[in-house]
Amino acid sequence: MRPRRRAISLIALCMAGLWLAAATACTPGGPEPVTLRVLASSELADMAPLLDDLRRDTGITLEMEHRGTVDASNELAAHEGRPRHDVAWLSSDRYYLLKVKANGGHGEKPLATNIMRSPVVLGVKRATADRLRQAAAGGRISWADAADAAADGSLRFGMADPRHTNSGLAALVGVATAAAGTGTALRPQDVSCERLHGFFAGHLLTGDASGKLADGYAARQDELNGLITYESELLALNSSGKLREPLEIVYPRDGMVLSDYPLLLLDPSKRAAYDRLVDWLRSGPVQKKIMERTLRRPIDPGVSRIDRLREPVGNALYFPDDQKVVDRLLADYGDPERDRAAQVIFVLDFSSSMRGERIAALRETIDGLAGGDDSPSGKFVRFYRGETLTVMRFGGRVLEERNITYEGQRDLDRLREVVASDDFAGSTAIWSSLDHAYRSVARDPRDRPERRISIVLMTDGENNAGMDVDAFVRGHARLPEEARRVRTYTIRYGEADTGELDRGARATGGRMVDAADRSLLSAFKEIRGCVH
Amino acid sequence: MAVGERRVAAEPRLGIRRESRSSWSRRGFLLVVLPLLAAVLTGVAVLAVSGNVLLPFQTVVTLEGKMASKRDFFEDEEVQRILMRHHIRVHITASGSREVAIRDISSYDFVFPSGQPAGDLITAERAKSNQYAKVHRPFVSPIVLATYREYARTLEDAGVAKAHRGTGPVADQPPYYVLDMAGFLRHIHDKRRWDDIGIERHGIANANRIVAQTPDVCGSNSAGTYLALVAFTWHGDGDEVPDTDQEADARGREIKHLLEQGLPAADVFRTYVSPEGKNIAPVVVAYEHQYLAYQLNYKARSKKLDEQRVLLYPSGQFVTQPQFIALNKDGDRLGELITHDPELRKRAMELGFRILDPTGQVAGDQLTRFLEERGVPAPATEGDDTRTAMPRLRYLERMISVVGDCPPADVLPGRP
Repeated sequence: MRPRRRAISLIALCMAGLWLAAATACTPGGPEPVTLRVLASSELADMAPLLDDLRRDTGITLEMEHRGTVDASNELAAHEGRPRHDVAWLSSDRYYLLKVKANGGHGEKPLATNIMRSPVVLGVKRATADRLRQAAAGGRISWADAADAAADGSLRFGMADPRHTNSGLAALVGVATAAAGTGTALRPQDVSCERLHGFFAGHLLTGDASGKLADGYAARQDELNGLITYESELLALNSSGKLREPLEIVYPRDGMVLSDYPLLLLDPSKRAAYDRLVDWLRSGPVQKKIMERTLRRPIDPGVSRIDRLREPVGNALYFPDDQKVVDRLLADYGDPERDRAAQVIFVLDFSSSMRGERIAALRETIDGLAGGDDSPSGKFVRFYRGETLTVMRFGGRVLEERNITYEGQRDLDRLREVVASDDFAGSTAIWSSLDHAYRSVARDPRDRPERRISIVLMTDGENNAGMDVDAFVRGHARLPEEARRVRTYTIRYGEADTGELDRGARATGGRMVDAADRSLLSAFKEIRGCVH
Repeated sequence: MAVGERRVAAEPRLGIRRESRSSWSRRGFLLVVLPLLAAVLTGVAVLAVSGNVLLPFQTVVTLEGKMASKRDFFEDEEVQRILMRHHIRVHITASGSREVAIRDISSYDFVFPSGQPAGDLITAERAKSNQYAKVHRPFVSPIVLATYREYARTLEDAGVAKAHRGTGPVADQPPYYVLDMAGFLRHIHDKRRWDDIGIERHGIANANRIVAQTPDVCGSNSAGTYLALVAFTWHGDGDEVPDTDQEADARGREIKHLLEQGLPAADVFRTYVSPEGKNIAPVVVAYEHQYLAYQLNYKARSKKLDEQRVLLYPSGQFVTQPQFIALNKDGDRLGELITHDPELRKRAMELGFRILDPTGQVAGDQLTRFLEERGVPAPATEGDDTRTAMPRLRYLERMISVVGDCPPADVLPGRP
């Protein structure tokens, strides 16, 4: 009978074992295999090596379809009905959220979980960094210092296309926010005046994905000396062996825009798999692996950072919450192929009342715009390489007319020489001189119809020669269409007539700025930003 | 009659078996059985300790819940363990509290908005359509501003923050400050930047405007509560709150600029505690319990306090009262548990909540005593006694819609 008892004991034990298994098992059996269709930002292609681990550990296969973040966001925001993907994994969902808001979308936002972080910053060669530091206030480089160097041709950088990529858009918004200098998120009125032409004069390399941009930089590394992209991308490029000279990472003093790589659940029926995926990605060991492989910063505060990721990222700039702001920036600076040639015609009063302090102020103003103004705004709105500067000195008639295209320091010196002239006239023919400027615009061969031209007229007195403002306005209306599109901004100085200057400017679509109660330089800077 | 013997006779092949069975000695039997028995006993012991002995014979109910910051409670492993003993597993969907209130919640067993306004929205909606809703109020937590030492000191220099009195051994590194809300808002109104009020003296450069970051006011209770606090402080006329739609809209417009922060980020507290927090989330609106839980955890791990991260208690306090709303009987069982189960109540306190006694009063010094035991300074509760009045829900909702430019929630005119 003993064997029988043994058998019973065994059966009992086995039952106990089964019961135990049932009691202790959290998930019976192995993880269920699932495939998730993912719409992912292009830069997340670098997660590929981790996807095998993911499949092994969780049974989840990610079918990644890559797209530029902005393109992916547009697609997601426009799509209605059943989503084509189960999950979206974007470098940032800011553009998507703005789009949804602008489309009047009031529905529930998809569940989103941030996975990691990387700031969009500036990488520059050592010598360039040293030069920038010397020019920077307190030795801490800002976007304004970068804009200044880009304008004078000493910073030549790559930046991805903001119409398609998150890194490009984050850089554009970051620089524009720094340029506006309000310390807060950009509002529509902050972007109505452009201040970024000088900065973009140094933008010589673009790409529709940040990875391609890095390759592009490697291919042209002798000609270029800077790259604006993710910190992770810069660190990876430095350790790739593709660079003869590594890029020093600059976290601009005025801040950066951070990307946080949210995972968005598009199809709520995939919630269980989404939870598993998020738990896995945010688990300590995986966060560590992500950091080591992709050089992005872990979202998990508990994971200790590798040395290269211990640098403070710099203050986060506020991201605008209005789609119109972003649209405006993209319209103005989005197209890397846009014609950047611009011409400003300065029509400057050289009547005898300008002698003395006034002419000194004007000369200082030109010096300031030629790179002498050290303030952040001055660094953004200064003259830049490739810009054509025309100076018309006038009295009772146009005394001198000079065309200077800024290619190097010598050109700025020639510009200074023109305003250094002590040839003053007895009378003031404001409107005839402005009319002269328009006629020369109309005469100009329009080989580049996209070229931006604007006129800045500065006077300190009343019109006492030549045509009157009415005659000018009538003449202006009869100009050829192209010439008529050129706007005039008038700067009122000294005893000049407010009403007339305002009327004349408005007839051309421009406006008047009063320099009576502030410095001439600040008046020039204000319209400089608005010049179109 | 042994089965085996008959087989021996029937099949020669079984001889082999008999042979093997002959080696099935008592010793062999024990060799197999004893480890198995030991394993079972260990298992039983483990289960007994964890309270899961009867688990295989009872079904574990998985309850679906939706909530914002109160998920810290349900995501705590100890809470999960205690609940498992009661055969409950909880599955959380994270969402802002107001977001919880204005969306379809029919697929959930319970929701746990962080404060009363969002809770009221839900119970009103449920009552209107005659649906089950039972409210439990297990604990409260005040709304605070979490920041870094340099920022607190800068505000102190500017005369709008003051270290809490009597914080004892850490007097030179006080973890708590009282923030003069009116003074703070005045700086924001004047478009001051951190650089303008001298943060450079504390080794930081920051040209950003002064602001306290919140999650999206369209979705979050903490942001909505902070908004009410700002509106109340800014209006500055005793305990006046708006009484008409027009007044509420006007108040909303008056304070919109005080809350400007661009596109809001989610989960600001978690960003704040990250190593990049000082750069990207230097001042955030949070709940006291989030900070206390963080410090308790920090202390347990590194045997000291995080002296870099400090709290600003706004003068004119708002205590937020999370509302556990059961949407069916199962949800209600969970609600009963977290309100009455001694272990869960204790755990809530350990997570930094101020638990309520059965009469709905804050169970006084329990939290203080507990924090002191763990070596975490207890926030002084005396503070400023200004009572801040919360506007009626309808008007708060209108202010939120104006400030956040968000779709208005459906609040009946007759409702408080």
